[in-house]
Parts: sequence; C-alpha cells; structure tokens
Amino acid sequence: MSIKLTIMDEMARVAREHGKTLGQLDDDVALLDSGLDSLGLAVLVARLEDRLGLDPFTTSDDVQFPVTVGDFVKAYEHGSH
Amino acid sequence: MNDKPRNVLVTGASRGLGLAIARRLTAAGYRVIAVARSKSKPLTEAIAAVERDAHGSLHFAPFDLGKVEAIPDLVKNLRKEFGPLYGLVNNAAVGHDGALAVMHNSRIEELVRLNTLSPIVLTKYVVRAMMAEGAGRIVNVASIIGFTGYSGLAAYAATKAAMLGFTRSLAREVGRLGINVNAVAPGFLDTEMTHGLTGEQRERVIRRSALRRLADVDDVANAVEFLLGDQARSISGTVLTVDAGTTA
Ligand SMILES: NC(=O)c1ccc[n+]([C@@H]2O[C@H](COP(=O)([O-])OP(=O)(O)OC[C@H]3O[C@@H](n4cnc5c(N)ncnc54)[C@H](OP(=O)(O)O)[C@@H]3O)[C@@H](O)[C@H]2O)c1
Repeated sequence: MSIKLTIMDEMARVAREHGKTLGQLDDDVALLDSGLDSLGLAVLVARLEDRLGLDPFTTSDDVQFPVTVGDFVKAYEHGSH
Repeated sequence: MNDKPRNVLVTGASRGLGLAIARRLTAAGYRVIAVARSKSKPLTEAIAAVERDAHGSLHFAPFDLGKVEAIPDLVKNLRKEFGPLYGLVNNAAVGHDGALAVMHNSRIEELVRLNTLSPIVLTKYVVRAMMAEGAGRIVNVASIIGFTGYSGLAAYAATKAAMLGFTRSLAREVGRLGINVNAVAPGFLDTEMTHGLTGEQRERVIRRSALRRLADVDDVANAVEFLLGDQARSISGTVLTVDAGTTA
C-alpha cells in the first residue's frame, strides 16, 4: 500500500473509532476540516508511526504541524527517504 | 490480572522510591521496565529475586533521562522489545536544595530538565503508544512540596508543582481515549534524596505529621499500585497524598 493510501486507510479507521465522519480528503483541505479533531490527529500520528515506522514530526526541524491534508501526506513521503 | 503481563515503565527505579515501586508492581504481576542510569546493587538483587519467584518480571533499561533528545528512540526501542506499554510511572528526579539566591544556574536547569522537561517529553512518546492501544495509566510522582512551602526547595517545588498541573490537564486531554493520569504526592521519605536532612529537621517533620511518623517508600508504592490497577479505573486527574498526615 502506498504511503498515501496507508494514511487514508488509517484516517478512516480513526474516524470510525471516534464516531466521526470524514469529509472529502483533497490535498488542499485543512486537516482540522478533515473530520478528525486534534486528538484524532494525535492518534493518527501514533498509529502511523507503528505502520510506517516513522514520525516525521519528531525527526523534522519544522515546529509547525502541517495545515493541509496534502502537506501532511508530503511530510510522510519526504520522511520515508 | 489477565494472562499477558502488563508492561509498566518506572523511571528512577534503581533505588529509593522507584525501586520500591518496581518491587511492588512485580509482586503484583506486572512486567516492570526499570529505567535509570546505573544498575544498582539492590536493583540487581531485586531482579534476581523476581527470577526466583513466579510473579511478574523486572527488566533494567539503562538510560540517562537528562538526554531529552534521545527519548523518542528510547520509547521506540522499548516498545519493540517489550510490546505495548500499559503504564508509565514518572518517578526519576533530582532533589537539589539550597537557597535560591546562591543556587548555581546549572543546578536550577538540571532540576527543571530532569524533573519536568524529561517526564513531559517521555510522557508524550509513551502516551502516543497508549493512544494507539486505546488504554493506559500514567502516574506522576510529585511531592507535598508542590503545594506546601519548604525553605531551600523553591526550584524543586516549582518542578513538582509543574507535574501537578501537567497531570490535571493531560488527564482531560487523553481521558476520552481510555488513559488515566494521576499523581502521588509523598511527604518526606528516608531515601538518598533526603540524606542531607539533619536529625533535628527529620524530628520536626515527624512532630508535625498527624500520625507522628514519616510515610515510607512502601506506603507510596502501594498508592502507585492502586492507581495502576483496575480498582482505580474511575480515578483520573487527581493527586493522592501519602505523607502520614503532614499536610493535614
Ligand atoms: N525522598 C523524599 O523525601 C521525597 C519526597 C517527595 C517526593 N519524592 C519524589 O520521589 C521520587 C523518587 O525520589 P527518591 O527519594 O527515591 O530519589 P533517589 O533515591 O535519589 O532516586 C532517584 C532515582 O532517579 C534516578 N535518576 C536520577 N537521575 C537520573 C537520570 N539523569 N536519568 C535516569 N535516572 C535518573 C536514579 O538512578 P541513577 O542515579 O542510577 O540514574 C534513582 O533511581 C522523586 O520524584 C522525588 O521528587 C521524594
């Protein structure tokens, strides 16, 4: 599964567990409008660390958490090589 | 307890209160991972004793908690080796005392780094793992000095009060995910941390306590065991004081 698909899959799972509905996940959609709240996003990052073996937000020097879905996915794609 | 032992990380478990907590939890069937810089003789003996008895298990993970930047890897490696972490007991701390006006800045910094920064960052990485599991228990070891005054402990007191605030807000943040966060606030305990106390000071603490004695490390370890156990499932964001009535 590609990194992007893995992320989408995990987002759907977290949303389901938290009783949330995911909206349209286009690249320019703000993460907080995706349907997950900040706690849901934290769970997502924790799960992705297990699945992808990486946490781009600890290894990077960028202190800002990404704003859009596209930036979020990019952070993982960049972090993996 | 269920068949699979629950993993609990206890920091500063090579002596003093941390070691007492590690002993108590292994006796209760937990699999305890003891973090400290060095494997003390009593910890080595405790590990050997656990291997003889058929209770939980006790493992040593050497690590300098002052190395905050290495904490993410520590947690990653421990999870790889031991699997999911059910509990975290933030116990390691330093107890530098002295008049603030002449306390060296490096000592103040060390207090904040080890007693506050390090446990917050460690909790960040452990709580993530708990979030992924949807369950977990965190116990922060604060001190009655976090809410009562003691001359010579201003900087130390600040770090312990910080852990109380941390406990309450984190409890709110992660409660929905099935994670309980609590603190214990011990009174004076006879450990290496307090060996500088004079006999007179010790007597004064005893005189002021409702029970006319000091609480000991096993009293506090019992409180920690309770907060980790199923019986405390509805307790979160609270502080359990174990001080023989010193602050009553
Ligand atoms: N003693 C009291 O009267 C009292 C009262 C209230 C609250 N408390 C609290 O109880 C807790 C335990 O205190 P204690 O009296 O048991 O202290 P202690 O006897 O001095 O033990 C401290 C423990 O922390 C570890 N530690 C220290 N620096 C470390 C570092 N850089 N990295 C990793 N581990 C480190 C030590 O192991 P290594 O040296 O091998 O690293 C040791 O296992 C502390 O949070 C303290 O604030 C104590």
